[in-house]
Amino acid sequence: MSKDEFYIGWQEEMPPSNKRFIKRILIGLFILIPLFLMYGVLFQKPFNHHQFEFGTLTELTGIYHDNPVPILEVSNEDSTAFILLVGFGKFGAEEIISDIEKEQGNLDGKEVTFAGTLIYGDGVTLLELTNQEDSYVSSKDLKTENVDEVEDLGEFEWYGEILDPKCYFGVMKPGEGKIHKSCAIRCLSGGIPPVMRVIPHYGSEYNYYLVRGKNGEKVNEEVLKYIGESIDYSATITQQNGWKVLNIDLESIKAERDYDLKDLDVLNRDDYE
Amino acid sequence: MSVNYTSVQWNNQKKGYDKILWLGIFFTLACFVGFQLWLHPEITAETLIIRATAIIAFLLLHIILAIGPLARLNTKFLPLLYNRRHLGVSMFLIALIHGLFSIIQFHALGDTNAIVSVFTSNQNYQAISEFPFQTLGFFALIILFLMAATSHDFWLNNLSPRIWKTLHMGVYIAYGLLFLHVALGALQYEDQPVYWGILISGFTVISSLHLMAGIKETRRLQKDQTLLREGGFIEVCHTSEIPEDCAKTVFVEGENIAIFKYDGKLSAVHNVCKHQMGPLGEGRIVDGCITCPWHGYQYKPEDGQAPPPFTEKLKTYEVKILDEKVWVNPVPKEEGTFVEPAKLEKA
Repeated sequence: MSKDEFYIGWQEEMPPSNKRFIKRILIGLFILIPLFLMYGVLFQKPFNHHQFEFGTLTELTGIYHDNPVPILEVSNEDSTAFILLVGFGKFGAEEIISDIEKEQGNLDGKEVTFAGTLIYGDGVTLLELTNQEDSYVSSKDLKTENVDEVEDLGEFEWYGEILDPKCYFGVMKPGEGKIHKSCAIRCLSGGIPPVMRVIPHYGSEYNYYLVRGKNGEKVNEEVLKYIGESIDYSATITQQNGWKVLNIDLESIKAERDYDLKDLDVLNRDDYE
Repeated sequence: MSVNYTSVQWNNQKKGYDKILWLGIFFTLACFVGFQLWLHPEITAETLIIRATAIIAFLLLHIILAIGPLARLNTKFLPLLYNRRHLGVSMFLIALIHGLFSIIQFHALGDTNAIVSVFTSNQNYQAISEFPFQTLGFFALIILFLMAATSHDFWLNNLSPRIWKTLHMGVYIAYGLLFLHVALGALQYEDQPVYWGILISGFTVISSLHLMAGIKETRRLQKDQTLLREGGFIEVCHTSEIPEDCAKTVFVEGENIAIFKYDGKLSAVHNVCKHQMGPLGEGRIVDGCITCPWHGYQYKPEDGQAPPPFTEKLKTYEVKILDEKVWVNPVPKEEGTFVEPAKLEKA
């Protein structure tokens, strides 16, 4: 570099040799960066097709059930859907329903109309009561009495991941795994019912179960530390208002990261039925 | 150089630097958004913002960390170094968007204060795979904020160059935290090893460049230990080894010295610029003044004083010429002390 080509930043122009060199570096970067980004995006884990109809309120009418969690049973000529009700933000629907019931009386077993935001995917639908108590539109008594049956489906010993259903079924992508763990903890802590995602022994599609305690009690706080990771557990299964419920034995829960090498045979899925 | 503080002393180079920087940022953003919408149209707007800002900020951090050693290895990279603080502030602003969106997305509208939730939601600090990686990003963002907030020369002068430099070395702590933030966060979700490859490649490039620049400097220092000594003076080189208006550097008895040749004379000053500790010996004599290659700070070679109205002063050293060999006395004079230059015999 000659004396004339010495670079000084406070001068108006840089020496031509510096300019040529920097130009070559920049051209290289402008070519490499898109290739690098393309490479990164290409291998990214795909997102699911779940939907959150943000900004669109939908009115749904159906039979409201308090148990095992707030559910709206919506029927048409062809089918019946058991829609989980959740609150705005990272909250469950229980407090909102309780506030509505202070004004309207007990809603359990009545035909109720709610306005809210739909969340749906993989055969599961949720309704966010976006406007809180104002999500209530109307209610009326049914002509025939609603019978709330609990069907016992036996014992179950398997593995799966506890999810926050509101985010998983549409509000966030991804709404599962390590990245989403903190958010799922907040959601369950706020009362959104935990859901266990399970891959059946024979099959490749997920099954979803509501998670309750051994005696059907709420266990949101107790399962917070296991959210977003694969866990093994024992439970009994019941079915109530269209949802299968895992009445989980909390003491049986074991995170797979806690297994020692000698326990690895426990993880052999073929042993499970 | 400046006496009074202004927010930015713009010149054509700085304007060009910022234009290209933000063109590059928007180009990267456009490419990332385009590829995502093309290959993963199901992505939500919030996830797109969080991921785009994460990629751009982390990429910029790698570039920022690479510029220092690259400029030590090849002076052609110096134009990138001069306005590196603009890169740093831009990177912080992008990282801030990432941090704010992540905190709102994952922690707001819940039963706990969003900031408190960052630290209390996931408490599996004992498990590597479940480690609460967001806390690492939070602390990295605090460090980046401190660096961005003190990037102006006002803070450099008020904190003193040594404290300022130490504070800004925090960028390496921030990089370490962000490396773990990515490794214990996003890479625990993605299942393709290619992302580990990218992360480790970035670390390898940054550490290799620093290692190479360090080896170059260490070799220079080791070579200087074998010099001849006589009467307090140390033989440095033949007079012809110093190009006109340039310097020869020597590190002896703990003194880092730059000996400049100019106008048929030789003068020696401390080799470290008072501004950001730049290597003055890699600078030039411009308009009769030693000019630092990093940010253009200037000093008179005879007394090490910055020309008025500037006030910075360097230590000076005695120089003599014997049989066309350059000798220097490594005992420093007070900062700003005039030392008679050694005169070269005309050929």
